[in-house]
Amino acid sequence: MAEAAAAQSGQNGVKVNGAAAPPPGEADETEVALYEVRKKIYPRAVHGWFAALRWALVWLTQIIFYGLPWLVWNDRQAVLFDLAARKFYIFSLVFWPQDFIYLTLLLVIAALSLFLFTALAGRVWCGYACPQTVYTEIFLWVEQKIEGGRLERMRLDQAAAGPRKLALKTAKHAVWIAIALWTGFTFVGYFTPIRELVNAVGSFSTGPWETFWILFYGFATYGNAGWMREQVCKYMCPYARFQGVMFDRDTLIVTYDPGRGEPRGGRSRKADRRALGLGDCVNCDMCVQVCPTGIDIRNGLQYECIGCAACIDACDQVMDRMGYPKGLIRYSTENAIEKGFTADQMKRRVLRTRVFVYAGILLAVIGALFVALYVRVPLKVEVLADRGSLMREVEGGRLENVYRLRISNTQEVPHRYRIGASGIETLTVASENEVEVPPATTRVFPMRLRIDRGVVPKGSHRIEVEVRAREDAKIAARERAVFLVR
Amino acid sequence: MNVQRLIWILWPSFIVGGVATGVFFTLFDPRELALFGGELGLSRLAVYSIGFFAFWLFAAASSALTCFFQRTSADINRGEGSSAGHSGDTDRDAPDPTHR
Repeated sequence: MAEAAAAQSGQNGVKVNGAAAPPPGEADETEVALYEVRKKIYPRAVHGWFAALRWALVWLTQIIFYGLPWLVWNDRQAVLFDLAARKFYIFSLVFWPQDFIYLTLLLVIAALSLFLFTALAGRVWCGYACPQTVYTEIFLWVEQKIEGGRLERMRLDQAAAGPRKLALKTAKHAVWIAIALWTGFTFVGYFTPIRELVNAVGSFSTGPWETFWILFYGFATYGNAGWMREQVCKYMCPYARFQGVMFDRDTLIVTYDPGRGEPRGGRSRKADRRALGLGDCVNCDMCVQVCPTGIDIRNGLQYECIGCAACIDACDQVMDRMGYPKGLIRYSTENAIEKGFTADQMKRRVLRTRVFVYAGILLAVIGALFVALYVRVPLKVEVLADRGSLMREVEGGRLENVYRLRISNTQEVPHRYRIGASGIETLTVASENEVEVPPATTRVFPMRLRIDRGVVPKGSHRIEVEVRAREDAKIAARERAVFLVR
Repeated sequence: MNVQRLIWILWPSFIVGGVATGVFFTLFDPRELALFGGELGLSRLAVYSIGFFAFWLFAAASSALTCFFQRTSADINRGEGSSAGHSGDTDRDAPDPTHR
């Protein structure tokens, strides 16, 4: 993939040669991390339009994530993936394992959305909504509050061990662990009723597996957001590796405008850059310092770039201070930068066939999902031939077959069902022909079917069993079965 | 065995283990699985969890074998010192007939 990154940046005509020269004091800051000899990254806090957008999405996604399991609907948890009972509740819908087709559709929709958004504006998912980004943002915020800004953190890490360092590090990790445990608890709360879980946690009586998964997910959150951070994106994320194939030269990406910026160089604010023969880039290194993956965006498009736009915010502030126009680093396309398109020309090219095709397919699949959910019959029927007894003769010279009828009422109201059978003349239901199934429950009933002797020859005969709700004729299901005559 | 290689083995198998668990237990109910013809005698959550680790373990075994077979014949012929971590990394591992 390094080749792909090099190829991508090669298209920009800029050579990739790693990060820019490190600022003083940072040079020896290497540690053998999980994947490589890694230079620890101390992202500088950034403010601005895109940072605000990211924080808005942090709040939105986390209010949903932490809050949703507490919501009540129909006197039960609104969203509960009840693994123990093999039923998924999503507001008024109840899904059973047989409904996995809907889950498949949902996954297809997620994949297509990723295609669409990547083709349109690169890694917007990574930059604003991916849990890895969101939790790293939260953990970094904690780190900044406790340990201070970028330089203070670097100094603290270089300082010899002492009571202050110990106190700060302990405090940071304590807060991190608290957030991680709450996250693990919430995660498990999606799979086991959270109100029972909170009581169990309070009295230290959670089940062994619940305890295990709370700790497991908590540990993963702590490790990923506290320690691994950008390494997850660089080495563990499959999407980061193949997003290159969804890009093209008209995809909006975070780009540095070398035509405007180069030749870069420091200068006084009052100096006339034209007279000095300099471009707009003052080489302040702010874009590198704010980057959570530690790259230099001026080297062109790199696969490490998660499209968070932190460098845009940082650079815009510097441009403001210098009195230069904003947007030296901005959302643009490779074509636009190279050929100097205006914003309008660029937008017209961004809305291209590829985008419309992805959007069309996406809308079609979303439509299909809604139609499928709308016409879904909340009833599932299975007819199982009773293996123990084949045909037997009963009073009145009739022939009888015995079955097991499994009826799943997937609605959250009880239903009475009428059972019928057809396919052979004189075929009747000799067992109970009306049964009741409680809400969201599966019941198995013995079913005896009879025919008159001599109506059909020896052999197996196709029949059909129909189950129909008494209150609502639309809730009906037909199931094939076989009637044996010996 | 360096840490990087360990993660190469454990991480992709974790993903595959998760997917396999999801697919398998969507299709099969733990209550209807039999162990040597008898009942499992475990809760569904326990079976899901054990199932996940079993899938993870098997996928990890496959990843580990892939890593193991990555060694070139030159690595193996050179014997000690060429164990994990370097195969395919640099040109010096490529077989060089002129010096053999």
